[in-house]
Amino acid sequence: MSDEPLSFDQAVAGVSEFIEVAIHTILYVRQVYPPDLFIRRKKYDTPVYQSRHPTLNEYISGAIKAVSDEIAQGTVEKVVMVIRNKEHVALERFIFSVENMVEVEPFNRGTRIENAMTAKSLVQYFRSFLIKLSMLECQLGQMNLGDDISFAILLELKDKAAPSVSHTTDPPPWVPAETQHTTAGVTEEAELHMIRSVNTGVINVSIAVQESAEKLRLEKEKRKQRRLEAKKAAELLKQEQPPQ
Amino acid sequence: MASQDSSEYYFDDDSQFLNALQNIVLPGDIQHDTIQTSENILDGLEDEHENASQESEELEPPPPGQPRPSLKRDYSQVEEDDWEEPDQVDEAVYGAAHFDNFGEYMRRKRAKLQIQNSQIGQGSQIFKGLAIYINGWTQPSVQDLRQMIVEHGGVFQPYLDKKGLVTHIITCSLTPAKLQEFKHMKVARPEWLLESIKAGTLLPWRDYKYIPEGRDDSSQGSKPKHQQSSLSMETQARQAAIEPLYVTDPKSVKEAAAVPGYASAVSNPNARRAMANPEWRKAHTSVSADFIDGYYKNSRLHHLSTWKSELKDLVHEAQERAEATHGGGHLGKVAAESGVSMRGMELPAMKSPSKSKGKNKAVVDHDRVIMHCDFDCFFVSAGLVSRPELKGKPVVVCHSQGNTGGTSSTSEIASCSYEARKFGVKNGMSLRQGRSLCPDLVTIPYEFDRYKQFSLQFYTVLMSHADDLQAVSVDEALIDVSDRVAQLRRSAGYEGSQYDPAKDYAETIRAEVRKATNCEISIGISRNILLARLATRKAKPGGSFHLLPEDVPEFLAPLEVSDLHGIGYHTKQKAQEKLGTTNLGELSKKSKSQLIDALGKATGEKLYNGLRGIDDKQIESDKPRKSVSCEINYGIRFENNEQAEQFIYQMAVEVKKRLDAIDMLGRSITLKIMKRDATAPEEPAKFLGHGPCDLFSKQGPLIGPGGKATSDDQIIGEFAWRLLKSFDFDPKDLRGIGLQVQKLESASSSNIPAGQAVLPFKRMQDSSRSGPSHRQATPTIADAVQALPQHPPPEPTKRAEQSFDLPSFSQVDMSVFDALPPSLQEELKNEYSRRSATPFTSVGAGGPPAPKPAPAFPNKPTGFPARRSITPVGVFPARSSAKEVNVKRITHQLAPQNRTNLSPQKSLLFMLMKKKPPKQVSSRTSEAKLRELGIDPEVFASLPKQVQDEQLVRARILKEKGSLPEPPSQRIILKAKKPTLPPGFVPYRAPAPKARFPEVPVLRQRGKAKGEKLAFTEADDVQRIMEAWVAAYKHWAPRDKDIEYLSKFLLQSVDSEYAGDVGVEKAVAVMKWWMVLLRRTWPGSEPGVDDDDEDEDEDGRGQVDAIGKAWWDAFWKVKREMDVVARRKFGGSLSLR
Repeated sequence: MSDEPLSFDQAVAGVSEFIEVAIHTILYVRQVYPPDLFIRRKKYDTPVYQSRHPTLNEYISGAIKAVSDEIAQGTVEKVVMVIRNKEHVALERFIFSVENMVEVEPFNRGTRIENAMTAKSLVQYFRSFLIKLSMLECQLGQMNLGDDISFAILLELKDKAAPSVSHTTDPPPWVPAETQHTTAGVTEEAELHMIRSVNTGVINVSIAVQESAEKLRLEKEKRKQRRLEAKKAAELLKQEQPPQ
Repeated sequence: MASQDSSEYYFDDDSQFLNALQNIVLPGDIQHDTIQTSENILDGLEDEHENASQESEELEPPPPGQPRPSLKRDYSQVEEDDWEEPDQVDEAVYGAAHFDNFGEYMRRKRAKLQIQNSQIGQGSQIFKGLAIYINGWTQPSVQDLRQMIVEHGGVFQPYLDKKGLVTHIITCSLTPAKLQEFKHMKVARPEWLLESIKAGTLLPWRDYKYIPEGRDDSSQGSKPKHQQSSLSMETQARQAAIEPLYVTDPKSVKEAAAVPGYASAVSNPNARRAMANPEWRKAHTSVSADFIDGYYKNSRLHHLSTWKSELKDLVHEAQERAEATHGGGHLGKVAAESGVSMRGMELPAMKSPSKSKGKNKAVVDHDRVIMHCDFDCFFVSAGLVSRPELKGKPVVVCHSQGNTGGTSSTSEIASCSYEARKFGVKNGMSLRQGRSLCPDLVTIPYEFDRYKQFSLQFYTVLMSHADDLQAVSVDEALIDVSDRVAQLRRSAGYEGSQYDPAKDYAETIRAEVRKATNCEISIGISRNILLARLATRKAKPGGSFHLLPEDVPEFLAPLEVSDLHGIGYHTKQKAQEKLGTTNLGELSKKSKSQLIDALGKATGEKLYNGLRGIDDKQIESDKPRKSVSCEINYGIRFENNEQAEQFIYQMAVEVKKRLDAIDMLGRSITLKIMKRDATAPEEPAKFLGHGPCDLFSKQGPLIGPGGKATSDDQIIGEFAWRLLKSFDFDPKDLRGIGLQVQKLESASSSNIPAGQAVLPFKRMQDSSRSGPSHRQATPTIADAVQALPQHPPPEPTKRAEQSFDLPSFSQVDMSVFDALPPSLQEELKNEYSRRSATPFTSVGAGGPPAPKPAPAFPNKPTGFPARRSITPVGVFPARSSAKEVNVKRITHQLAPQNRTNLSPQKSLLFMLMKKKPPKQVSSRTSEAKLRELGIDPEVFASLPKQVQDEQLVRARILKEKGSLPEPPSQRIILKAKKPTLPPGFVPYRAPAPKARFPEVPVLRQRGKAKGEKLAFTEADDVQRIMEAWVAAYKHWAPRDKDIEYLSKFLLQSVDSEYAGDVGVEKAVAVMKWWMVLLRRTWPGSEPGVDDDDEDEDEDGRGQVDAIGKAWWDAFWKVKREMDVVARRKFGGSLSLR
């Protein structure tokens, strides 16, 4: 790991790579897929979980490739990974907020950016990101929303920008997202947890997770139900054990 | 017997397989019963497709549970069974051939023939294992031979379509094409078979090798080919048995293998133990600071080699003196100085100086008398002078003394007495090897002082006799005594009789040396160096031998190649390998081209001539020193690059010392590296030796300041280190380092700086920088010219001849000038007189000003930078031609940079062209004007237009300046000028992009001291302040102002646009802490944030107090504000859970 400041290219590559690793980790942590689909590996000197499903991996890496092209363009604001239930209602939104701090001419993309963070310490940050992600359960509680959850990767661009990079004659590989998955569609009740963020000086990254109103409502209902059940159980218990 | 037949089904079987088959116990033996049964099972299977393919059957799996030694064996057995059963043979061999299956046809045909053969009765088995093919007409006939072969157990092969089947070919004659075809096969004459039968045993075929008339087929059968039987391989191996090589520290693994008792693959345990100790390492290996000095103090080879070069110098000096005094032959006194160097010694002048070196060569070869004088085991006999009691004992000279380390000593034997030689001890062996051959070996130490003294005495004697002398080494010299011997012969009067004046004279010399040193020398006499050296072998010990030309072939015949001087171990190996012999007698039968093919051009030619007693080498007494070097390959053990670098610099100092000693400078440097062979152990058998090594060398230029030759140790070290670094070797693997400086120049002569041309340019650049205005340019020219090295003042007469003071001409070394041919002198003078017309040289002189004012063109501001016009046109050609010695060097140096460095000249010329008057004038010039210019209008009119223009221009310039500018002496090709960058120009490079970080929101607070302002940015700090704040206002509602401060900070932080997501993180952390503080202080006042879990809040409700409520309200207010801000980016609200 070099002690020299990052170059733009390095920063783009580093951030995209990290997002990919993080998505795998989230899929594991939030139990979107069964745990035995994942293998434990080492990345950034910390244990992470990577999916073994080739189709899934292909989808993720394809999406990340497209994301990284857009990041290089400097138009990306957020990469969002939405976890949704079977009705496609967003439950949790993992927001990778990406902010390009500098505009770099194409010829300068390989040069070290003055005062930027070094690759070495960026990796350290990523490690802390991943550790926080894997302890997410403590913050959000166990994901017990049933088996039918799925996920999607969204790209939110800066105002009026549209995905532009395409390596073929085909249009860029993006489709318009469902509004309720996007930031604009988030209701006021949704709660945002800022997990971690870092300022690299080139591309600043942060991860936040947003629990949707739907999820909060569901959880509240569940809590209520549990309490009711508990009450019922307690009553039953009282009936069975008449006072002596 | 029948086994051969069966083999015919398997066309890919070889003769070895045939052998194997013969050893098989035939079926029917009890031990094979089981196998046989299995085969019978297989037989049934095979019957159906017997004809189809035999090979496919091999793929079939063996029947389970059957013993199966090997597939092939099984099937051969099968075939033998087949042979026993006639119908199967009929099917396999006599069946109808299928169409388009020639292979099958041939196979069957061969099988049939073998069946026929087998019907011939069996005699002895002497040809067992042979498969013989008979080619062409033979005596006795093919039929008879076939009979013989088969009778005696051999296989007769009627066809040669598969060479692998045939072990030998019998023939009486071969066509050239077949000769070529059978080149690598064993071709013998029929006599071989006949006589083998007669002898009752197989005779070696080689003795009956077929040799075509008039052709040398040395290659035939001499190359060990795989199809040769083991028998012939063995004889081959015996012939090529490697002779032991005697060195203590072999350089390659191959050599190491040839050294008896040299365990090349094992690390020397003593050395390894020693190396493990860093202290010891520091003191004794190359890491030690005074290692080089110590090394040279004790290195025998070093002494010998330095003495040799010193002796050469001495000889050379003596010769010069002799030439000066013309033969004042006196014996020089050899002072017994302390110190080992020979420097400062003096040898007597040569007896009859070789005033006619050139003529000497013209002397007819057989009239020349060369003597090779060599001490008999010099070190030993010198040592024995003071130890008479040891005479007659096996004595060796080596470092190791007494019995210390006797059995394992790797100390090298430098010299051994003839008594020791009888035991087989040789020079160059290690003491251990010597001891194993002769346990009573007595060792005596080196006595360098004495060697030096003896050597000088030896040379003194030789000097007084020799016409010409070449110092070969300390104890060995070649002298040319042709004149002397001719004189003797003449004076003796009767030529051609038994009397040999040369031998007589040699004895005289020997007697004189014996008298001077008490040591015996041997003298070999012959007509050239090579033969003289050979004669010495015969002369030894203590005698002389005259090898006469007519005896040469006889004398050479029994000798080995390596006996010839200059032909060593490797050539010998090569000769053995490629020519099959190392014997000179046999080699002399080879043609020149054969030798050259086998040994390479130089060696081959040398050997060819040498075999005929021809050697055109001349005695070289004054061979100039070509290189100076310093090589160390003992004790080189580095741990890191720093040590290696330091060592290189130390070696450079040593090289400098040597260069200085002979007053030379070098231009080129070669670095030789010995790197441990990857397979060799870390510590070789020789203690601290180099062991098997890979050799590398690299050459590079050695450039001193100003492009001169140099002897500066820093520069040498630097260049050498650069070369070493370019190899990129692990310093731990270095085992030997050599620095050699070549392209020597005498230090005094190269005081004339080679880089003259560089100097003025440098000056000019300086001047242009210091004074941009062209006014200042003039004085700098003077500077530049004066900066040119000063030379002996010019001859006054020459000076007077010139009409002007010529400063640059004054710099011409007059001795050189006078030495030039008159035509060149003339040319130079013209050049100078022309140059004197230009102003620069006169300005530079500082002498009387030029008679004419400076002409317009060179120095006027013409829009060209002034600095470009400074150099006078003629400086380079003039200078270089004046100093003939330096021309080459200067041009050479300038060559690669020509374009840039000579640009001033070009631009000057360019200006000159610009100055030409405009063209249109010429056509309309009036007659009057023409007359004014001194041109006849009539003639002018008749000229073609172009010539008119030319004439006009010429006349105008003449009129204006009085003289014509000379055309440049060199043809200058104009080329598009390269765009030159202004000095100090740095091409624009876009600055590296700078990282940008979001602003950090600051919480400001008034400090305790008045006017002091505190600023807090970190979450921790803000949290601490908040804690203090909450604690301080425990009994009061928070002040609006404070809340405002805080909320301002938090809102700023939470604004991603402003502070980034790190700010959000920070704001949330602060808010959480605030909430914790509030909960701690006023748990009851917390509003039930739309939570409908009444039970949990019930207990706290009662304790609501106004202060707490105010705090909580403030908190939620701030939180709501923050949510609004955060919503802009993320939507929703912030969670504080």
